[in-house]
Amino acid sequence: MNEDLYWALIDIANGLLSGVMLGGYYAIISIGLALTFGVMRLVNLAHGDLLVLAAYLAVLALQFVPMSPFITLALVIPVMFGVGYALQRFMLNSISVQSMERRGMSTGYGLMSPILVTFGLSIVIAHALLGGFASDARIIRNALSYSAVRLTEDLNVSTLRLIFFGIAVAILLGLHLFLKRTHAGRAIRASADDVEITPLMGMVTPKINAMASGIAISIAGVAGVMVGMSRTFQPFDGPVFLLIAFGVVIVGGMGSIVGSLVGGMLLGITQVLAGTYFGPSAQLVAGYMLILFVLAVRPQGLFARRR
Amino acid sequence: MSISVPDSPPLLTVKGLSAYYGESRALFGVGFSVEKGTVHSIVGANGAGKSTLLRAIVGMMNRGRAAHINGIVEFKGRRIDHLKTEEIVGLGVTMVPEGRRLFASMSVEENLLCGGFLARCRSAMDETLESVYDLFPRLADRRQQPVSQMSGGEQQMVSIGRALMSSPELILLDELSLGLAPIVVDQIYQRILTINQRGITCIVIEQDTERAMRVATSVSVLLEGRVVLEGDPDILGRDRVSAAYFGIDNAGISR
Repeated sequence: MNEDLYWALIDIANGLLSGVMLGGYYAIISIGLALTFGVMRLVNLAHGDLLVLAAYLAVLALQFVPMSPFITLALVIPVMFGVGYALQRFMLNSISVQSMERRGMSTGYGLMSPILVTFGLSIVIAHALLGGFASDARIIRNALSYSAVRLTEDLNVSTLRLIFFGIAVAILLGLHLFLKRTHAGRAIRASADDVEITPLMGMVTPKINAMASGIAISIAGVAGVMVGMSRTFQPFDGPVFLLIAFGVVIVGGMGSIVGSLVGGMLLGITQVLAGTYFGPSAQLVAGYMLILFVLAVRPQGLFARRR
Repeated sequence: MSISVPDSPPLLTVKGLSAYYGESRALFGVGFSVEKGTVHSIVGANGAGKSTLLRAIVGMMNRGRAAHINGIVEFKGRRIDHLKTEEIVGLGVTMVPEGRRLFASMSVEENLLCGGFLARCRSAMDETLESVYDLFPRLADRRQQPVSQMSGGEQQMVSIGRALMSSPELILLDELSLGLAPIVVDQIYQRILTINQRGITCIVIEQDTERAMRVATSVSVLLEGRVVLEGDPDILGRDRVSAAYFGIDNAGISR
């Protein structure tokens, strides 16, 4: 084979492979945002900061007990579930559209207030992390940082990325089965479809919302640990991940699990290929161009459910 | 201690019920009662307050400043007017809402399973599901079909089935005929009679007075938020009911 052609193909294969791996990671970063929007019509601007909070939580745990960073998930997942549950139950439920209506305020307040409150929360979390951990860049050390799995002589994939991809697929599959097969999962989907009617099924809206939020934030917690293991992070990094999440959700469509995975992959592949051919500075630009393109051509996202 | 119970209380009693949307009032001291095992029809023109009345019974008008009620609603002698919808449904009252309101992203069976969400329904879920399919065989063939791909009549069957999944004693049916062909409406009302024969008390709202009277054991006519006539439809007769419906010649009717 012509050597130039061979290397060109290797470049593309590497781009596709890394892009797909990145896609799983992106899906985990963003699925929580899609879930809270789909169920509660709530855009959680603190999503990225909660993710960074989880990374610091893992750092803290590792300071006390040296262990594999993967084991910290056993702490991070339940703690972040509790954070998400409490956030919704004691803060966001009381400013939902329905609660605002009860107070005699217009729907506009119900849509606007959570945006302001989660924006405030984002700032509070970032500053609390700055206070607690200072602004030094951190990373969650792990044995796999420099390890790679060799597929062919010239085609490698990072072990860490491969594991993250496996975790991502497992989480998305688990979430899918939960939403599809359990009473609680169906209740969450029912709320997304028509929250006015769910009480007629005996469903308690504030509890269902809190559970959805708990699940969303606990998955963001997993994403936080993944982020912390693969790159350095600082207290004010939240918005970076919020932007990734927005991008994935825009490309994949709101409230679709498959959409999050495919949206993440498309974004990942676009970024990696652009990086390969046009240099690192093209990576982000290409990602945002994809987002703009999807917004212009198919604003509901590629996998949006029909309503 | 008395051996015989002379007068067991009605299944549902509504007394002096007023309902408000913000400042505007939709019901003015409505009262009626429904005996166990009957079909009670509430007829009235558009805007008479029929849907509001049903929503009030299932607690959907308890929405703070946006909407609230005054008055008494008793189910099996117990006041339910201050309860939340999910609590009222838990006691055995449910509603098939106007416009069917199915969960659009779900299949037939998933919609039905949502209806059986309550903890008390879960142990007998399979039997309840089979009894719904038994009632609407057409749904049994389409269990996995998304409800969004179904005809209006089939969707109405799913909505009724979903309400039945909570094993109610009292079911409120809000304008089942809305947007459906008369022949389909006939089939659906046949099924309502079957449901009633299985011991479930029904309250039916219809704009079509004829149909409402045909299925009913008792009827209340609502005019501008007030009950202006009530009784046995056969005794009242069609003319008096439609006169009350339109608010013509109220003079002879005393309550």
